[in-house]
Amino acid sequence: MGENFVVETNNLNLWYDDNHALIDINMKIKRNNVTALIGPSGCGKSTLIRCFNRMNDVIDGCKVKGEVIFNGKNIYGSSADPVGIRKKIGMVFQKPNPFPKSIFENIAYGPKVAGVREKKKLNEIVEKSIKDAALWDEVKDRLSESAMGLSGGQQQRLCIARALAIEPEVILMDEPCSALDPIATGKIEDLINELEKKYTVIIVTHNMQQAARVSDFTGFMYLGKLIEFGETQQIFESPNEELTERYITGRFG
Amino acid sequence: MGENMSEKFHKELRELKENLMKMANLSKEMLHKSVKALKEQDVELAEWVLSNKSHVAEWDAKIEEDAFLLITLHQPMAKDMRTLACALKMITYLARIGRYGKDIAAIVKELADKPHIAKLVSIPQMEQMVCSMIDDALKAYEEWDIKYIENFKERDDEVDALRYSIFRECLTYMMEDQKNITRCINYIIIARYLERCADHACKMAEKIHYMITGEHIDIDDKIPSK
Repeated sequence: MGENFVVETNNLNLWYDDNHALIDINMKIKRNNVTALIGPSGCGKSTLIRCFNRMNDVIDGCKVKGEVIFNGKNIYGSSADPVGIRKKIGMVFQKPNPFPKSIFENIAYGPKVAGVREKKKLNEIVEKSIKDAALWDEVKDRLSESAMGLSGGQQQRLCIARALAIEPEVILMDEPCSALDPIATGKIEDLINELEKKYTVIIVTHNMQQAARVSDFTGFMYLGKLIEFGETQQIFESPNEELTERYITGRFG
Repeated sequence: MGENMSEKFHKELRELKENLMKMANLSKEMLHKSVKALKEQDVELAEWVLSNKSHVAEWDAKIEEDAFLLITLHQPMAKDMRTLACALKMITYLARIGRYGKDIAAIVKELADKPHIAKLVSIPQMEQMVCSMIDDALKAYEEWDIKYIENFKERDDEVDALRYSIFRECLTYMMEDQKNITRCINYIIIARYLERCADHACKMAEKIHYMITGEHIDIDDKIPSK
């Protein structure tokens, strides 16, 4: 596997009991790029993104076949360690879900669990993570206040900072802006553009314009299959597949 | 409930394409009739062409406004985006073609007093070639089929060659008799207008090719075969 690709799936299939939710997914995610997954509701894009850090493990009746290769190793292999994988592949969800603790503690929580005890080191991590999430100027004077007092957009950036604190390589975002207003959405999109310098971002979005704006590569999924995957400009300007064409021009879905 | 947003958008996009065809037919008619008026020294027909100048400008403004509105409200993608991008470029070329018709019509009166030299040299022939290019570009647009524009490079070369031959021929007439100069210079100018119209037909063909295939081409270079 070339080192340009950080995640790669080989004939990935997934079932929720009898429901075949992902069918023969083959894709390669390029390092330090933003990859977007689009498709109608229920097409499997959130299921796919959750395969990348084994978040589906906790769902009853979920069965996975095929491989997800992360840095050369199959994360569904017998020796794989899901907790270790989730440290390297962080996740941000649709609704911001900060811990009911202070802003500082939200960020310091992950590193503490990972064994960082030294106060100075923790301070450094907190400052760096919040700066990387473009939130520092807004919260630097109230780090000890509750995270629940932040606005929705700030909470979402806090969740991104929290994911960054454990120094992941990949950040998965499942509809990160769907609960935010246009201004907060704009800030998250700016942030995604910044993040790709250091991280690989995989984002699921319902908003095609958002996918077009923020991503370098786009995958279109339909009924559990990856119909088309390619450079974002090509997908939105002249897709190869009729199904993609029909979806992005609003003729179905 | 009536139609959904997507249906509404596609209906309005179809209407925009229909309006563009109306504008295209008017522009082409203006060019065609201006040369007909010139040939038959029909001042009345030339007046008809002149009177339509503002109509072309109105179509240009209306279609542009409609296209901007559709983009603003619907952020079209793929085929729909390419259709609108193509329309926005085409209206500029079509407006110019109509305006060249108007420019030719404006000369008709001046040249109506005496018979034409050498039956208007090859101008009518040139007009036929140019209008057939415009026709084929519009067919490609309407029928979503690039077969009509595949030989545009060769056709454009032919038009260019004809313009040069008109220029050489007119030089001869001007050297023969100074009284021919005004008339012949006008012929040369008209041949130049027609050549520009063929260029606009080529530019339209390039945009139509992009609309249909998503691929940019340069007709000055070549049109890749299918």
